[in-house]
Amino acid sequence: MNGMFEELRRNKWYYLMALPGLLFFLVFCYLPLPGILIAFKDYNFADGIFGSRWVGLQNFAFYFQGDYAWRTTFNTLFINANYIVFGTIVAVAFAILLNEIRKSFFRRMYQSLMFLPYFFSAIVVGNFVYLIFSSKYGMFNQLLQMMNQAAIDWYSAAGYWVTILVGVFIWKNTGYAVILYLATIVGIDDELYEAAALDGVNRWQKIRYITLPLLVPTVIIVTLLAAGKIFYGDFQTIYSIVGDNGLLFETTDVIDTYVFRAVKNVGDISMPAAVGLYQSLCGFLFVLACNWAVKKVNNDNALF
Amino acid sequence: MTAPKKRVSISQAIFHTIFIAFCAFTTIPFLLTVMVSISGESSVFKNGYSLFPETFSLDAYRLIFSGDEIWNGYLISIIVTLSGTVLGLLISAMLANAMAMPKVKYRNGIALFIFITMIFNAGLVPWYIFITKYLHLKDTIAALILPMLINPFNVFLIRNYFKSLPPALLESAEIEGAGPFYTFTRILLPLSGPIIATVALFISLAYWNDWGLALWLIDSRELYPLQFMLFKIQSMINFMSSSGNMVSGSQTLPSETAQMAMVLITIGPIMLVYPFIQKYFVKGIMIGAVKG
Repeated sequence: MNGMFEELRRNKWYYLMALPGLLFFLVFCYLPLPGILIAFKDYNFADGIFGSRWVGLQNFAFYFQGDYAWRTTFNTLFINANYIVFGTIVAVAFAILLNEIRKSFFRRMYQSLMFLPYFFSAIVVGNFVYLIFSSKYGMFNQLLQMMNQAAIDWYSAAGYWVTILVGVFIWKNTGYAVILYLATIVGIDDELYEAAALDGVNRWQKIRYITLPLLVPTVIIVTLLAAGKIFYGDFQTIYSIVGDNGLLFETTDVIDTYVFRAVKNVGDISMPAAVGLYQSLCGFLFVLACNWAVKKVNNDNALF
Repeated sequence: MTAPKKRVSISQAIFHTIFIAFCAFTTIPFLLTVMVSISGESSVFKNGYSLFPETFSLDAYRLIFSGDEIWNGYLISIIVTLSGTVLGLLISAMLANAMAMPKVKYRNGIALFIFITMIFNAGLVPWYIFITKYLHLKDTIAALILPMLINPFNVFLIRNYFKSLPPALLESAEIEGAGPFYTFTRILLPLSGPIIATVALFISLAYWNDWGLALWLIDSRELYPLQFMLFKIQSMINFMSSSGNMVSGSQTLPSETAQMAMVLITIGPIMLVYPFIQKYFVKGIMIGAVKG
């Protein structure tokens, strides 16, 4: 104990500087933790977290006995997995391709234009999607009509929306990921390519045997970070695109949108708290599992 | 010798075509928004959303700027973005400073304290209850700022940058008798220009674009930030069109074009600064990628 006070005294200015930041995490991340109890209670505002009645696992039962648990969990995982797989493939391909463009003027211009959507808020993105897919005035239906195809009522056809969401994800995030992967490619030692050139290796072989293998560590880290959030739905984007349109819930309703509607539209507190706890626990276990798996394969790429 | 050169330029042509197609994909929604916002409402009703509208009109902008609400929304968004960025950046950098100093014994304990919040949280409901019932932040401007003040990723990014600076600089400052505040403000921060600029830009972009906090925590119209105003307009129009209340071809309310004008008004400031700040974002992502 004495050692601790001694340390705090000796470096008091450093700890004082850290204090506001530590307080932030204490207040917004640690102090809400006792609220987890709400998941096991019939919460009402008057009695608060500790005064409300215990109900055991009843809140969980409500969620798991209906179709909701399966549907929202599946949609969350399925949409995120598609984001990860297709997002990575497209970004790696474009990063390699961009590196092949000779003129730096064009490289920079393409990079700027690809990066642009990253700066738009989810709600603006929702509007863009509406411009393209609105059944009455949307661009897609105009194209279909030009090709003499029947117009599609997109906003009532759930089947299309995972594809559309993945398209939106690629549209918004490719620019960012390309910069990330390009940083790795640019950092690759030129001598490797020069040695390969002496051996008469062609462009595709260089990409296949030098660039791609050296991109793997970056891909693993980016994928791990994304996988850590796989139980968390892309709330802001999905809610701004789908909103409360029940016709699309079958494929697009993720855990986060379900929780939001339960709290805000239904006014329920306890059941969504249980769903949130289930989500947090699954996410936490999944991160541990991912990290453990990566450690098994290659210790250097693990996050912690 | 001409044959291989020609083959190269063909593959270059293919690459350029692919990029031009993809860049069209990333920019067309924005261009379409611009065109719809300045087209006459009647040409939207007639031809749908088009990049080449038949009639032009600025009625949508006139309608939006005629009220006070839009100015109020701008004011809220600017206040939130500025104060959130300044406070968040300062607090993050001070925290990173303590975590980067080898002589601070509990620096790894601090890092763990922050890291845990990245992999486990109580969930939205306890967070919401705590903020509304215990902190009483609901429907205050602080609710739009405080809950997202610090992003742990940024703290680690700054800490890694501080760590990469030559320690001799700080040691010599200390020998000269400089205190921790002096070294932080006069030596560490000026040497960390690129990372500070990047984190500042990422924080301000996050604040400017956020509407999740308003969605959960704001009820009063006078506290709506721009993005949330846009959300309200969008859900109102969606509701009206789905319940069939909207009068087709109505002259008084240019709703379709107004919605798109509103989109442009919220992203206008970003588009204005984008050409100048873009390179700092690129630099920042690269620093983050290399230092991990």
